[in-house]
Amino acid sequence: MNRIRYYINHIAIGAFALLTFTACESFLEVKPTNALLADNAIYDAKTSRAIVNSAYSALKNYSINAALNLAVLPGDNVFFAGSQSQNIELDNGAFTVTNSAIVGAYSANYSLINIVNWALAEIPKVEDPTFATGEQEKLIGEAYFIRAFAYFNLVRSWGGVQLQLQPTTDLSSLGAIKRSTVEETYAQILADLKQAGSLLPPDDGSTRNKVQRAIVRAFRAKVLLYAKRFDEAEIEADAVLQLSKYSLVKPYVRFFELPFLSSESIFELSATANNAGTSGSTWFPASGTPRGSYEFRPSNEIVNLLNDSQKGGNRKALLATRGTDVYVNLYHTVSPNVNPGYVIRLSDLYLIRAESRLRKTVPNINGAITDLNAVRARAEAALYPTSLPVVAEVLQAIWEERRLEFAFEADRWYDLVRTEQAEKVLGISPNFWLFPIPQADVLSDPDLHGANNPGY
Amino acid sequence: MEQVQFGVGTCKYSLLKQFKTMKKYGLFQYLYPCMLFFLFIETSSAQETNPIINASLSGTVLDFYTKEPIEGVTVQLEAVTHSVKTDRFGKFQFVTGQKLPFTITLSNIGYEKKTLVVQTSPTVIELKPKVEALDEVVITGYTVQQKKAISGSIATVNFKEDNLAQADQDFVKLLQGKVAGAQITATSGVPGGGVSFVVRGNNSINGNVAPLYVVDGVFLSTTLPVTGGGGNLLSNPLADINPADIESVTILKDANATAIYGSQGANGVVLIKTKRGQRNTASRINFSTKQGFSQAVNKFKAVTGPETGQLLYESWFNTATENQESLASYLTREKPTNWDLVFPFKNGDGSTDFSRDNISNLPTYDRISDLFKNAYQVDYQVALYGGGSNSNHYIGLRYSGQESIVRPNDFNRFSLRVNYDNNVTERLKVGTSYNLARVGRSNVRNNDNDPGGIINSAIFPRSFLPVFDAQGNYLNHATFNNHLRLIEHLDNNYTTWRNTVNLFAEYSILSHLKFKTSGSFDYTSNGTRSFSDFALSNTGAASAGNNLIQVYTAEQLLTYVKSFGNKHDVNFLLGNTINVQQSQNVGASGTNYIFDVLREVSSGGTTSGTSSRNENRLVSFFGNAGYTFDKRYALEFSLRADGSSRFGKNVRWGYFPAGGFIWNVGQERFLRDNTIINGLKLRTTFGLSGNQNGIGDYDALAVWSTNAQSYLDQPSLSPGRLANPDLTWETTRQTNIGTDAVLLNNRLNITFDWYYKYTTNGLQSVVVPSRSGYTSAIRNYTEISNRGLELTVESTNIRKPHFNWQTSFNISRNRNRIEKIPQEQTLGATNRGTSILRQGYPINSFFLYKQLYVDPQTGNAVYEDVDGNGVVNYADRQILGNTEPNFIGGLTNTFNYKGVELSAFLYFTQGNHLLNMHNFFLVHGGIQNGIGFDPRQLQRWQKTGDVTDIPKMTRYALNPEQNNAPANNYTGQVANLSSRYLEDGSFLRLRNVSIGYTLPQALAAKLKLYRLKATVSATNLWTWTNYGGLDPEVSAQSTNQNTAGYDWATVPQPRTFEFILNITL
Repeated sequence: MNRIRYYINHIAIGAFALLTFTACESFLEVKPTNALLADNAIYDAKTSRAIVNSAYSALKNYSINAALNLAVLPGDNVFFAGSQSQNIELDNGAFTVTNSAIVGAYSANYSLINIVNWALAEIPKVEDPTFATGEQEKLIGEAYFIRAFAYFNLVRSWGGVQLQLQPTTDLSSLGAIKRSTVEETYAQILADLKQAGSLLPPDDGSTRNKVQRAIVRAFRAKVLLYAKRFDEAEIEADAVLQLSKYSLVKPYVRFFELPFLSSESIFELSATANNAGTSGSTWFPASGTPRGSYEFRPSNEIVNLLNDSQKGGNRKALLATRGTDVYVNLYHTVSPNVNPGYVIRLSDLYLIRAESRLRKTVPNINGAITDLNAVRARAEAALYPTSLPVVAEVLQAIWEERRLEFAFEADRWYDLVRTEQAEKVLGISPNFWLFPIPQADVLSDPDLHGANNPGY
Repeated sequence: MEQVQFGVGTCKYSLLKQFKTMKKYGLFQYLYPCMLFFLFIETSSAQETNPIINASLSGTVLDFYTKEPIEGVTVQLEAVTHSVKTDRFGKFQFVTGQKLPFTITLSNIGYEKKTLVVQTSPTVIELKPKVEALDEVVITGYTVQQKKAISGSIATVNFKEDNLAQADQDFVKLLQGKVAGAQITATSGVPGGGVSFVVRGNNSINGNVAPLYVVDGVFLSTTLPVTGGGGNLLSNPLADINPADIESVTILKDANATAIYGSQGANGVVLIKTKRGQRNTASRINFSTKQGFSQAVNKFKAVTGPETGQLLYESWFNTATENQESLASYLTREKPTNWDLVFPFKNGDGSTDFSRDNISNLPTYDRISDLFKNAYQVDYQVALYGGGSNSNHYIGLRYSGQESIVRPNDFNRFSLRVNYDNNVTERLKVGTSYNLARVGRSNVRNNDNDPGGIINSAIFPRSFLPVFDAQGNYLNHATFNNHLRLIEHLDNNYTTWRNTVNLFAEYSILSHLKFKTSGSFDYTSNGTRSFSDFALSNTGAASAGNNLIQVYTAEQLLTYVKSFGNKHDVNFLLGNTINVQQSQNVGASGTNYIFDVLREVSSGGTTSGTSSRNENRLVSFFGNAGYTFDKRYALEFSLRADGSSRFGKNVRWGYFPAGGFIWNVGQERFLRDNTIINGLKLRTTFGLSGNQNGIGDYDALAVWSTNAQSYLDQPSLSPGRLANPDLTWETTRQTNIGTDAVLLNNRLNITFDWYYKYTTNGLQSVVVPSRSGYTSAIRNYTEISNRGLELTVESTNIRKPHFNWQTSFNISRNRNRIEKIPQEQTLGATNRGTSILRQGYPINSFFLYKQLYVDPQTGNAVYEDVDGNGVVNYADRQILGNTEPNFIGGLTNTFNYKGVELSAFLYFTQGNHLLNMHNFFLVHGGIQNGIGFDPRQLQRWQKTGDVTDIPKMTRYALNPEQNNAPANNYTGQVANLSSRYLEDGSFLRLRNVSIGYTLPQALAAKLKLYRLKATVSATNLWTWTNYGGLDPEVSAQSTNQNTAGYDWATVPQPRTFEFILNITL
């Protein structure tokens, strides 16, 4: 009897186990609540807008962090007084293949490119009547612009790079893509800008923090300047300078005063209380209010230049003093920090046109001086003399002007490399004018053939 | 070296080698006298009784050795159901119609059962304590087995009073040095602070390496209550458990023991059994209290103001000389903005003094003394335990408060435990374990490693810089905050509430067949509140958050144990568990305050919030079968199947088989009555176990995420992760061969194990090309091996009526090796990459340039040019050590003389390396503009002929590839990664010594007490080490298991003195 009960128990338990076993497949399906389970999530107007928004967000984050660090630290306007080795390396021009700032910037650009590639691949397929007229094209145009922007960041930092133009759906389908030449990379950037220009709707009179046709043209002028195609650069800069939407603000300080987005601003990436902007905390002194870590400090040289009324004029407003500490006051808002990322200002267009006028096939030296003086006049600095100008001197004056005008924006290092002055000014040999491709990429990407940029 | 001859044959050679190595390192000379633990002194013999005829029987039961009365002994009269128990004086009395002589049986836990014929009354009977040998019963996970039937490698630590005399508040620290093969490192000296626990070596690079913790059948969540900056492991979630409630901790180490935990068992399993009370014992109340204080053994040091000035001057002067310039012209050219900081020498008129006449006028400000304090601790406990004929209970209530020796942090814990079992019927038993704990950590410094951290803000600023300005306001210097500002204004608190509940029912279907069902949950609420007032932040900042972690476990278990005849013993186990883990997180923050007396998030002008949720599920079926023939040969086999929600559909189910074999040599005829060898067991196991921890709950799935990081506050959407449908668990296969021997009249127990573990499919974050838009993906790729030896020796050296000396010693060695890795990876020290993961080397290897010497002629560091190409570059970097010790172990000696008990516990680790980041940061040659100096900088080279390992002061940075160039002294990659900062981390520590006195029972009875014991205890009284930092037991970056062994702004282990009073009513 006992034995029979024993077997019955055994069978019952076995059957129970079997039932549980089959039921548990669904029990084991657990889904996340904060992320969408999908291989592709772009299917309507809302998701199309959202992916382009996330590209803007990534662009803003890049502009307020990596772009700024890479451009100011190796330059001569800012020195680094903190202890993080990646920034000490940048400050000393001793770039290493594992420098986390360089590695982070490189991957951030490609992460942005992947987002944009998804937008470019999927938004055209979406059919949704809730799209406003022309909105779908506008979103695609913005995506093209942002891709051009990311490749411009890459080409001026790392030279010709691998042109990834399709979204990554899985790692095995990455495709064999070799590094392009610098020229090929610029060609891709200009092609994307052309697409953007043709897809965007006509400009409105006020937008400065979302892509407009004028922004595409202004950016094209800058790209052409870097590509040393001065005749075209002048045309593009000229076109933007003709627009009544933009004018230089006076005094200089007004462009970085609240509420920002001044009439001088062509493209500015705005921050909000919830999505903070460029942090001032690395610039502020360690004592007093607002308090910071005072790791990014203005160099003695730039302090003297900005304080020189002939040269700096009212651009000395970029600096402030607390006790004996002289610090940069460009990124001044705290709690909330809504300092924007300044991408292109009208004074940049003046100086691009000035330089292009000097360096184009048929130089226009007086036109160049007029543009230079437009910037100086606004800054209330001494005007450049118009009598008997020498091209080389005017060119040097324009470059010096750029140093002061964009002293603490993301410009100086790239400018020194572009103008081939980095060795003379910083003592950094041309072998190190490009950053190294991250070691991890050289090791993990067979298409790089184990080779880095020269010098690394 | 004859001391090692007790070692079992195969291990003798390696042991000898180990001891020789130890001797080389100077450790052996300290261990040597402690190892004389097999001095055996013969014991006295028993006595007999006299006959008197009577109809009642009374008597006293005494301990055979101590002659102390034993309470609670069951005295059973033969052929009668009636039994009595001895009282606290060991006395018992029968009144019966029967006549002398009586046959009675005496039994009590911890004593050998004795049956005898009593001729007289009153009588005195002595019981021999049961020797902890192969008959001992051990928890093996889901079941309880006799030690002699266990094939696996299992170690048990009984938590006795002398364990608890150690000052630490969490049981993991109390296990350190007590179990062979378990490497336990306190990563910081903060009470309730981080502990790393690795059983038999790191199995994994990305997967978690911590063992699975199971308390009374409940799987514990080990989510950290406090996480912080700089990679420092700041808290140990297991500090939620009151160690005084623990009866024993069992550690399952090998594959057969852990296979029954399947995909959770690869890192070992720690089973915690709490006290439950015994049936048929009198109820007792125990009060105990601990009062004590802690101090820092060593404190950080800084050079004086004038010394700092001298060093800075030298640095500038040498740099100018190397630049072939005068100091004045070099400084004028290079003059940085913050002149006062980098060149603070002034003439009377305020002009710069290039002739350093005024260096001696520089003041000195002591910041470090502000950091440390005498820390006090208090502890009160009440425990109520006992049992009736059908039930037993344990109720424990405890409050512990402990301050940190570094201001202003402290730790407190309130805990309540209720354990209750009831035998409802002969066949049905129900029981519950309930634990409630509230753990508070106040004024926690999350970021001692960061420039904003308290320790850094005290040790880094140059000592001539004042703490306050003339108005008495806090002054900050360079990037560092003011240490007093942080200490006085910190308001950052964590509160954990933890409920751990288990309810079970056990029903005997047949006499040999039992069914047990159990449901449990572990519910943890980790709350945090912090506020930065206007002294700490510009406009005030508040944050509040809560993380709810719930672990549910349902378990069904069927066991069958039966003997057939004398020769055949079988047992079966069949079970099923369902495990669900959920975590829910909410957080809010506020900024922009008008008043900093209002500290709520909602008082801020700008507020934001966040929430998240995670869940994973595990369904498991398992079985175990064992067969023993003639008590001599035993075979065991187990299998577990796990289905996990974390893995891809294709690979969701995993199967983990294991088997073991035992040859109980002691039961063979030729050994059965051997007087020297009382027991001998050879055992071997082989099996698989898994690891699924360390990856996210949804890592196998492709996801798109929307998040708050959006542009102009509009919704955003971006690809988050690519699908990884083949992601599965790591599998570790392990072979274990071991032996247990009981020798010399049960007085010497030796356990020896050899193991080899090989992990395949190791979870690894593999770097992918950046152009994919991703930086890494988790893959099953890595292979890692661990092999090692473990030896445990327990001996009773002297056993006399009033004197008892017992020794317990363990030593173990593990060798870890990365067998396969997708690509080398350097990591650690905040991106400096001083640690490396490289095939063929252990995890946590240090990858550095080897500084050979400092050239006495030039004062420059000379590095080893490995490839001999004349320049120092990446190719000359080499692996120069790792954090894995050659040996770790512990030695406990306990002496009892009448009521006095003396216990001393030594812990040692030998052969591991540490990277002394204090030397990296504070011996910087002048290159760090804002940072002062450690006194070690004073040993720098100064003039031709100086022999030292600290190069000359210099800021010179050109030509870093040239060996013996000033550029490599302190600047650049080579100096950053110099072996100059690498040190031997071996140490021998008198972890705890305690001396206690128990009042004689007669005296206690007069005070109407059952027992009274007073103990004085000292923890970390003495440490021997060659390590130059504050404390060799440190791991400042231990939130990543691959960056162990960094010493950097960590609170050292304190030295603690305590008085403990223990009263039982």
